[in-house]
Amino acid sequence: MSNMKKVLVMLLSIVLVFSFFTACGKEGTPAGNKVDTKDKDNKKTDDKDVTDKQNPVTLITVSMYGGTDPNAENYQRHNAEFMADYSYVTIEDDSQSADQDWKTKIAADFAVGNEPDVIQYFTDANASDVLAADKFVSIDEIKAEYPDYAGDILASALKAASNPDGVSRAVPTTGYWEGLFCNKDLFDKFNLELPTDWDKMLTAIDTFKANNIVPIAVSLNNVPHYWVEFLMLSAAGPDGYSVVPTQAPADWAKGLDMFKTLRDLGAFPVDTDTIDNDLAGELFKNKEAAMQLDGSWYAGGIPDQDNTVLVSFPVIPGGKAQAGAMVGGISSGFYITKKAWNDPDKRDAAVKFVMAHTSKEAITDYWGGNGQAAAAVDPLSTMTPLGVSGLEYSSAATSISSPTDARISQEAYNTLIAGIVDVSTGAKSSTDLLNEVLAINAK
Amino acid sequence: MKRKLSIGYVIIYLVLILWAITTIFPFVWVINNSFKPSREVVNSSFSLPKEFTLANYENAFEKQNILTSYYNSMVISGSVTISVMILSSMMAFAMTRYNFKGKSIINSLIISSLMFPAFSTIIPVFKMMTDFNLLNKAISVILPQIAGNLSFATLVMMGFLRGIPLEMEEAAYMEGAGVGSVFVRIITPLLRPALATVAIFCFLWSYNDLFTQLIMIRRRVKYPISALLIEISSKYGKDFGLMAAAVTLIIVPVLLVYVFLQKNIIKGLTAGAIKG
Amino acid sequence: MLYKKKWPLLVFLVPGFVMMLVFLYLPFINNIRGSLYDMTSVVQMPGQEFKFIGLENYKNLFIDPKIRIAIINSFKMMGLTIVFQIGTALLLAILVDSIKHGQQFFRIVYFFPIVISATAIGLIFKLFYNYNGGMLNQLLEHFGKEPINWLAPSIAFVMISIPTLWSYVGFYFVILLTGINGISDEMYEAAAIDGCSKFKQVFYITLPLLRGVICTCVTLGVTGALKVFDLPWAIVPKGAPQGVTHFLGTYMYEQTFTISNFDYGSTIALLIVIFGVVVSWIVSRIIRPDKNLEYGGAE
Repeated sequence: MSNMKKVLVMLLSIVLVFSFFTACGKEGTPAGNKVDTKDKDNKKTDDKDVTDKQNPVTLITVSMYGGTDPNAENYQRHNAEFMADYSYVTIEDDSQSADQDWKTKIAADFAVGNEPDVIQYFTDANASDVLAADKFVSIDEIKAEYPDYAGDILASALKAASNPDGVSRAVPTTGYWEGLFCNKDLFDKFNLELPTDWDKMLTAIDTFKANNIVPIAVSLNNVPHYWVEFLMLSAAGPDGYSVVPTQAPADWAKGLDMFKTLRDLGAFPVDTDTIDNDLAGELFKNKEAAMQLDGSWYAGGIPDQDNTVLVSFPVIPGGKAQAGAMVGGISSGFYITKKAWNDPDKRDAAVKFVMAHTSKEAITDYWGGNGQAAAAVDPLSTMTPLGVSGLEYSSAATSISSPTDARISQEAYNTLIAGIVDVSTGAKSSTDLLNEVLAINAK
Repeated sequence: MKRKLSIGYVIIYLVLILWAITTIFPFVWVINNSFKPSREVVNSSFSLPKEFTLANYENAFEKQNILTSYYNSMVISGSVTISVMILSSMMAFAMTRYNFKGKSIINSLIISSLMFPAFSTIIPVFKMMTDFNLLNKAISVILPQIAGNLSFATLVMMGFLRGIPLEMEEAAYMEGAGVGSVFVRIITPLLRPALATVAIFCFLWSYNDLFTQLIMIRRRVKYPISALLIEISSKYGKDFGLMAAAVTLIIVPVLLVYVFLQKNIIKGLTAGAIKG
Repeated sequence: MLYKKKWPLLVFLVPGFVMMLVFLYLPFINNIRGSLYDMTSVVQMPGQEFKFIGLENYKNLFIDPKIRIAIINSFKMMGLTIVFQIGTALLLAILVDSIKHGQQFFRIVYFFPIVISATAIGLIFKLFYNYNGGMLNQLLEHFGKEPINWLAPSIAFVMISIPTLWSYVGFYFVILLTGINGISDEMYEAAAIDGCSKFKQVFYITLPLLRGVICTCVTLGVTGALKVFDLPWAIVPKGAPQGVTHFLGTYMYEQTFTISNFDYGSTIALLIVIFGVVVSWIVSRIIRPDKNLEYGGAE
């Protein structure tokens, strides 16, 4: 019993000590900050932008340059530079890679009034629930006060990043493309031609399969998105692909049926139903898989930049698309929220923050030769062979279409993605799945 | 006394040791692998580290503010534990010592709330927290976690209190003690074993309840330690060495607390489960 | 006498009850309300109206093939919990009680898996099951065998059940062991004098006297099985492969947080609670604990 007492006393005292610290911490932090910034302000009095009346500003920012995104480092560097330039601004950044859970959280934040000051977010239908809250300031309104805002951005890029209602609110940095990455050395090893048409694709699948190499690295349970897009685009052609029907189009269904064909051929990893997308990517990077369909952001993380090439997606048999049809576009940009705009202290800081991340220099960093830059960047002097291959691939594109999730509601799109494994095993027909998806979208 | 060594005993020990191996092995495996570079984890996860490295830990400490996270976790789980101990003993006291109308309704409400899945109540609670402007503060995790653990704790306490005869309380009353002092002077000391049980389970469940933590706390600087795991596994998904190090960092403190407290847990559970 | 005056009741009962009311019951009622609307976002935006759809979600429960899998799996898990989780725990408790040396050691190590969060255990098992370079396949490779897809649809349910069941054996073990310790030694001694073997003592003394404790464990077990979520989700999310490992908990989470079908998720949550109440009532009817234990269920 006495032992018990000691333990309880200890536990209690630990907690008390901790809560004491919290209480102190709460009062202590802002005060500490003030002293800090004051100090810096004094040192920087020669800076013409910083006048005595600059109040310290804490800017809450969120971007999609987080997690495994290759631009996470660039983004953090620009943030650090920004804070060095404007010492009265403290950036509290909560960037994350954009997945479904994150989008749900962001939507909830906007709904309840917990939105950040600046956010890099989607501009298409992916943003519809956030846009519904009507909490962004339009670029025109900002330009009326800051004429240089979004000054480096190409007019076409700005237009591409406008929201579904046609209003431009987001300042884009880069666009992206999606394409078929191939381990060329593996193709060479087995005397195979790159999969420029469907027959070569099938030969490659057979040969790799026979030699214990995974033909196509993909996680059907986790991220089948790229395959969904390209198979539907390939089957329906850019025009048929970009409509929002209410009944399942036969072409879309034909495209999705290819999942079953490919699965039956053994094109996917044995554990495609359970593997994580990252692990599937590892298969490709470690040369245990020959092909992977992914986005331009994937290129930077591939260790073998010399023997990896991009190939335009081969048109599936009977497909209506031309060779070179590509999925891509500009679908994200930096927004300023009304919350920050209406706060006199934050307004200026938020504008400067966005301008720092969308200057020509910053955009050049974010672009890095992958995808499409939203400003007129100078070509990079040093590009890896893979970078060159990507550039050739995207400039040879015969059409550029934005993916389906840019057009239909999130619940509908998520239902489509969740149903792909069943389509690939034949448990569900692609027509049924598409009808279900389109019915949800029409709701 | 001389020990008889029969075949039966050998078999019993064999079975017990086999099970013990299953419960110990995963943790040894993780701790062992946390000292290896990721490559080695993938290729040979069984052997001892060929080259012993602390790089994973350095990496984890570099990427996350671990000490702050431990501190955040302690504040949250500590407050939850203490509050649940106090509130549940009070409720159990009222439920076992008083007779009143609607007692059975409250009793069944307590039992049915054990069945509520945490994620079915979280969204309205999230909305509530933002209305009170409490989001991202420790209190936004503490309050729902108290409510969530309260029913289990109260039931354990009730089971325990039923087994304690009223004589001591009556005697104290005769000497002029009020209800308040009976509760503080007599009931609380008697409840100690049950309090210990409740404390350890509340602490564990609160510490490990990633879900509430991730919903309520969005700012990285405020993350409790368990959130680190999810952060690392989503961000550096294929870095198994780093992941093993993160798991180790999370489990070691609770393992220590458990080993330290375990005698009392058993006492508490005995009392709670049997004397009910 | 002491407890005649009722006013202290308020002081003792109200604070805790208010907590539960505000953070459990009201949100849950809110949740039920949500299941009757077509919720297009998590929280209603200012100026946004949700369409009232009545019982559509509840009708959907009857035609959705995946919820059928989830219900079947959850009930399977209940059965497995009783047989393997509580069964193993009972066996281990009886064995540990019968030994003289090392009781303390086994008590500590058997509780280990409960100390660690289900997410962490899930991650550990994920590393075990990985097709490429996972622990089990490394073992197979070592013995010159072909790697196995441990999460293939045919065996996935078993592979997910093993860690789920294993991780909580220690919880029931501790409860049951303390129950056994509470049985007085005199009874065993008397039985031994009458020539009753150790084996028979288990059936004639230990089990009957443990009735109440076992009932507690079964109630905790079946309601716990209904809420199974984090461990399966951490090993393979979304009921993969091909939806065969969906439980009510995981399916509700997928609908709510992955597919954004918030109203249907709320419907499933209500279903879980209804099942829980019904099942625990049935358990108490069947086992009829001698001692009137007031346990319900656990996390």
